[in-house]
Amino acid sequence: MKNDRQRTFLMITIPILALFICFNTIPLIRGVIYSFTNFKGFGSYNWVGFRNYIDLFSDGRVGKSYLFTFKLAIVTTVVVNVLSLVLALALNSKIRAKSFFRGAYFLPNILGALVVGYIFNYFFTYILPAVANMMGMNSTSILSDPKSAWIGIVVVCAWQAIAMNTIIYISGLQTVPEDVYEAGGLDGATGWKQFKYLTFPLIIPFFSINMVLCVKNFLMVFDQIMALTKGGPAQSTESISYLIYNNGMSGGQFGFQSANAVVFFIVIACVSVAQMKFSSSKEEQL
Amino acid sequence: MKRKTITFLKLALCGMLTTFAVTGCGSSADTGKTEIEIVQYKPEAANYFTKVEEAFNATHDDIHLTISSPNDAMTILRTRFIREDYPDIIGIGGDINYSYFVDAEILSDVSDYPGLADIKQAYIDIGEALEFVPKEGTFAVPYVANAAGVLYNRDMFEEHGWKIPETWEELNLLCDAIQAEGIQPFYFGFKDTWTCLAPWNAMAVDLSPADTTKQVNRGQTTFTTEYRELSERYLSLLQYGPADPFAYNYNDACTAFARGESAMYPIGSYAVPQILSVNPDLNVDSFVMPASDTKDGNTLNSGIDLQFCVTADCPNKEAAYEVLDFLLADENLQQYIDAQNAVPCKNGDFKLAPMLDGMSEYIVAGNMTDYQDHYYPAEMAVDAQLQTFLLNKDVDAFLAKFDSDWQRYNRDIIRMVQEYEKQNGSAGAQ
Amino acid sequence: MTETKKLKASVYGPMVFLILGLSTIIFPLYMTVMIAFKQPSEMTNSISGILSLPKTWSLANFREAMVVTDFWRSLGNSLLITACTVALSLALHSLMGYALGRNKAHSKFYSFVYLFIVSGMFVPFAILMMPLAKQTAELHLANWAGVIILYVVFYMPMNILLYSGYLVNIPIALEEAARVDGASTWTTYWKIIFPIMKPMHATVAVLTALAVWNDVMTPLVIMAGSGKNTLPLAQLNFQSQFGTNYNLAFASYLLSLVPILIFYIVCQKQILNGVVNGAVK
Repeated sequence: MKNDRQRTFLMITIPILALFICFNTIPLIRGVIYSFTNFKGFGSYNWVGFRNYIDLFSDGRVGKSYLFTFKLAIVTTVVVNVLSLVLALALNSKIRAKSFFRGAYFLPNILGALVVGYIFNYFFTYILPAVANMMGMNSTSILSDPKSAWIGIVVVCAWQAIAMNTIIYISGLQTVPEDVYEAGGLDGATGWKQFKYLTFPLIIPFFSINMVLCVKNFLMVFDQIMALTKGGPAQSTESISYLIYNNGMSGGQFGFQSANAVVFFIVIACVSVAQMKFSSSKEEQL
Repeated sequence: MKRKTITFLKLALCGMLTTFAVTGCGSSADTGKTEIEIVQYKPEAANYFTKVEEAFNATHDDIHLTISSPNDAMTILRTRFIREDYPDIIGIGGDINYSYFVDAEILSDVSDYPGLADIKQAYIDIGEALEFVPKEGTFAVPYVANAAGVLYNRDMFEEHGWKIPETWEELNLLCDAIQAEGIQPFYFGFKDTWTCLAPWNAMAVDLSPADTTKQVNRGQTTFTTEYRELSERYLSLLQYGPADPFAYNYNDACTAFARGESAMYPIGSYAVPQILSVNPDLNVDSFVMPASDTKDGNTLNSGIDLQFCVTADCPNKEAAYEVLDFLLADENLQQYIDAQNAVPCKNGDFKLAPMLDGMSEYIVAGNMTDYQDHYYPAEMAVDAQLQTFLLNKDVDAFLAKFDSDWQRYNRDIIRMVQEYEKQNGSAGAQ
Repeated sequence: MTETKKLKASVYGPMVFLILGLSTIIFPLYMTVMIAFKQPSEMTNSISGILSLPKTWSLANFREAMVVTDFWRSLGNSLLITACTVALSLALHSLMGYALGRNKAHSKFYSFVYLFIVSGMFVPFAILMMPLAKQTAELHLANWAGVIILYVVFYMPMNILLYSGYLVNIPIALEEAARVDGASTWTTYWKIIFPIMKPMHATVAVLTALAVWNDVMTPLVIMAGSGKNTLPLAQLNFQSQFGTNYNLAFASYLLSLVPILIFYIVCQKQILNGVVNGAVK
């Protein structure tokens, strides 16, 4: 009986794992091989050994992009998780027009990058400065100042990502049985207390999924950069993915950017695995 | 309910397997005609190319032509190259990608193509100059060129009696005069970094040698020497633009110029359709950027916008040449020029768009020089460096970084050039 | 009395918050709709100009956008790819999530496979792009079938993360009861576990469908030269470096937004109807 169960699990795991290796791991290995060449994406190439990796650690632009990307990812992850948790609780409470609200809050996620880019560019360039001027502040577009442009990107990333994280939190809240609240209500746990001691511990698996997905999505931020600033002003918003794509795919640095991608992959994988280890140890404590 | 979901899944999976099997067998029918495929990189000209494709197929029984004008053609070309699935002819610009493709030996020598005799020598030369090291043969048939200078609002100029400036001093005086009338002389869309290159290129042809980058590659000069005056003059243009040019993108600038918010807009002729879409009644003309102190020092900034290259893999060059003949036929080329406001690379009596009036003197005389940025590697991001420079206004830092970055991003090319020099030098000595 | 007051507060609080938040969505949506109905000659850089109503309400932009994108055919391709990917994801990823989720706590092998697959999520697409373009061509998969297979692989890490996370809250006792009745693991899975995960299926379906629906890069790279278009690929026609027709583009984006929004609303109902009623009995 036990063996039969184990055999079923293996029969499921092996073919799917094979598919995954075939279309993810093997191309990745091929990509890693390119990172030791001066391949431009076409034509012939030469082996350059570790030159790309050595360059990587002496390249100011790559270093800057790491700083920017991590700053963006951390801030946005916090903002998004707080807001989408509140939103999920609100959308899950006994309110009117639930379907309408859920539909509406989903919209930012499906508007194409071109639309989002245009609208928010307009907002930051014309509307926000005008509002600030009306309130007596003298200001110009926050996207034109290298010091503040990243804030604009945080706003747009958060605006788009909240929908997805909210969906995950809502589906997490469905796993909390009603009787838990009822029992808690008898003990006098309401509001913040109820959330902290009853709801939150039960949705910790979903919290950790959201953290991992957020960190991953925002560390790999690309679309929003393309839509809003294209790396400017003064190269202050170049994310790592932006460099990898723009210089590797459109430019002639395929080999070098493959090296960048390899290092980047290792960095995010470590960050995320650490995160998952941390949160699964939290889960076990409960 | 549970049943239903599972039945749905099963059905969907079965359906998919069948479709997989069917599509696996479906391959294109063999018609016995020679197939020629063109991939060209200007999606804005897609309508023109669809028409040409139809006209060609209607008049040719032995060759079937397919032209695709995808967006993001460079990504598509690169992925097709890596699959070794080469189109017969590619239509690309005369920029560093072309240099890479020549270097990678993807393109075939077309010097035996008779139609080359009709192409203006200036553009053949521009094409040759793009090769990293001189290579035996010709690898491209230039089709059309674009021109970059300064677009101006013709009605506004006439109303105030302003004249087209011919020297740097005249340009400054003109800008002061315009400002005195309470009008903004220039509009800039520097939020889109690539637009920083437009005035830069237009001024660079007047102020530094056409082969600056090649001289640097040979180790004969530095950008700090060649680009100093250019950088300083570029910086001084900022005072005639909007207060915060980095807030506006290309589209904002086009809209603003179309709405008469500035008298001039330093950008290429390619921007005219976008401007006219906002204000179809605007009377636009252009003039050559007068960055030099004398009129004779000025030259028109013009490069190959679209050229056709036959790939080395093309099995049937004869058929490819027949297609090129058709594309280069005067009536077809004229249609392209009308649709895209382009400058033809072919000799002949073509009617140019009215917004090129102010430049026609230079075009007729063949006084033109290629864009400097056609030699810049994309990954060096000169456009972003220019934006940084215009924000920080530090000429020395900008030039020093330009020089050091150039060495870093062009390492392999510089090595290739210097090896070539050494070999040819020693060959000469023997 | 105080009870009802408290209840009211707990209803109105979220309501006020939701309505305030809604303005950040209504405003961009309003701009999008206005621009979709306007003509290029009505575009300005002034705030009053962009917020004003179009001169005439005509569907001309929508009609033209449908012609430019070859709407029905592109829509068909997008629907086909999205539907196949979602169906395959629900079947394969839930199975894999189940196998890994139930075993990773006590087996080194499964916990390794779990981390191995989940870390696949962090591979930048750019590094896979060129090798995949080559590999799919070698396997004669440079078509929509190849795109579907790639999507199934790309979204596997995220979906497995979601499924195995959900399984934590599903008591193993449910399965053991079935096992006592003599059902095999395979049957138990399809009869008991799969239906119970319905809220998660709906979530996975929404997230996967959305990601596939909007994706440009994969079809661009894999289907290049196949002559087939998806909606996002066709929508690239509206923008080029030197000119973008925002009015047509916005109309087209509004059109392509409708199918996925409907799909979301349908799935959203499933997320709600799930566990609360069925599982914990």
